[in-house]
Amino acid sequence: MIANLRVVRTAFVLDIKQQAVDLFMIFGVVIQPLLIATMAIYMLKGQDISRGIYVVVGSGMTGLWTSLLFRGTFGINAERFMGTLEGIVASPTSLGTVVIGKTLASVSVSLLSMLCSYAVAALVFRLPLTIAQPVPFFASLVITMLAFISFGLLISPLMAVNLSLTGWVNALEYPMYILGGFLFPILLLPGWTNPVSYLLAPYWAARALHLTSSGVATVPDVLLCWAMMLLLGGAYIAISYRLFTVVLRRARVDATLSLM
Amino acid sequence: MNAIEVRNLRRVFRATIGTIRRRTKEVIAVDDISFDIRDGELFGLLGPNGAGKTTTVKMLTTLLIPTHGTATILGHDVVHGASAIRPLIGFIFGGERGLYWRLSANDNLRYFADLYHVDPDVAKQRISELLELVGLAGREDEKVEGYSRGMRQRLHIARCLLHDPQVLFLDEPTMGLDPVGARQLRQVIRNLVAQEKTVLLTTHYMFEADALCERVAVINHGKIVALDTPEGLKRHAEDLHIVEVEVFGIGHETVDQLRQMPEVDTVSVENRDQKQALLIHSRIGSAIVPQIMQSLDGNGIRLGKVTVREPTLEDAYVRLVGGEA
Repeated sequence: MIANLRVVRTAFVLDIKQQAVDLFMIFGVVIQPLLIATMAIYMLKGQDISRGIYVVVGSGMTGLWTSLLFRGTFGINAERFMGTLEGIVASPTSLGTVVIGKTLASVSVSLLSMLCSYAVAALVFRLPLTIAQPVPFFASLVITMLAFISFGLLISPLMAVNLSLTGWVNALEYPMYILGGFLFPILLLPGWTNPVSYLLAPYWAARALHLTSSGVATVPDVLLCWAMMLLLGGAYIAISYRLFTVVLRRARVDATLSLM
Repeated sequence: MNAIEVRNLRRVFRATIGTIRRRTKEVIAVDDISFDIRDGELFGLLGPNGAGKTTTVKMLTTLLIPTHGTATILGHDVVHGASAIRPLIGFIFGGERGLYWRLSANDNLRYFADLYHVDPDVAKQRISELLELVGLAGREDEKVEGYSRGMRQRLHIARCLLHDPQVLFLDEPTMGLDPVGARQLRQVIRNLVAQEKTVLLTTHYMFEADALCERVAVINHGKIVALDTPEGLKRHAEDLHIVEVEVFGIGHETVDQLRQMPEVDTVSVENRDQKQALLIHSRIGSAIVPQIMQSLDGNGIRLGKVTVREPTLEDAYVRLVGGEA
């Protein structure tokens, strides 16, 4: 257990070091959310300026998702290209443990998205940004990180099995912005899409953060969001545990752990 | 006692070809091979590119599941006992991949030490010793991307020794090293065997196999074509004499013509800068030289030095793999 925690810590630290020099991640975590925030603020011009915090939280969530998606999934492929995936798989540590450390790093770094969006909205556009219910907001943020890590664990093993799945990852970025209700409420979407949103922990995360930052959250609302995030997170972890076993065996059969 | 036991191991790869009408093609990479490696033995696996050496090593290191047959490492099956095998083995694959280039050597080694659950205090001590051993002490805080090919290869060696494994798989470990670095590495390998480690070494360099290995298996087209001590393998070519001719610009047609000669056993060509070395194995020794000269002259090939010598392990190997080296 302690040895595995040590792996999580080392994978976390080394991934942060690598992300710091990865220009694509700097774009995904800092520049893209800033562009989205700026665009949304312009769209809100002339409307209720108290919605500024909604924009900051929403654009921050886009950075969180982009970072998780690309780092968590392309991360496995990057390991394959570097030839390090075999080194990890052939070690006594499970690939899932390494992925937890790397995903934790992605999620932590992507909190920068929220900070950057906050800084732009407050300093450039002079929007009044107040987190109405700070304690529930920060508690929601911690549970959000856990939910996102579990979601990362669910999607990353799929990348270990097949290189061609990477193409599909690109297609997952924007649908989550919409189905997750990051930038506008899902009630604006066709009703049949709502059940899909309810199965996504990022949706409950966005809902909790929006409600607590805007100050319209009731205790049952927030508790429901937290419970759903924890419930779905637990389900993702259970599925991913099985998935890692199946997928790694498949990869050893199909010889997809390396570019032989 | 045997550290490694391989029985009828076979690995088939499936590749899809075609764009619209896709078909699956099967490639047999390893074809029904069997061998044992004794505890503490340094065993060599020799073969040309694509012979199946790396596939064999990948199956033994639990990275590939065999299509057929069984293999055990220290009594554990490579398919069902993979998790028991992993802490006991170390491996390196030839080339520069397998390291984090944007991180320092120290970061790389610390990470892999954690992956192998090496106690942090032990890891710290061992990393420092291994950096010294592979000649990277003082450079450990530099990013790997700034390392030369040889330095990366040496870092690989340090990485695979971090957890003090009992069995080592070294897939062309001296590839890309300069002669001094390669010699140092061979000494490291000798020291490992002196510490009673079991080593499976694949290499292209015959003198390396000759100098290091107790026994050598020659693998070609996925099959083991010979398995013996280096001295025993040399006996495969003891009836031969080797005629080595320096030539300039020899073509396939001329080589094929030489192969047709009844007294010629095998012909291989090595590129050496501007010129090529034609290696002709023959049972009749220097008596074949006039015929060879006549054939080369007839094809307008410019000649250099001609020598006739006794066979080496490399000549035995060339004979065994049919001149494909």
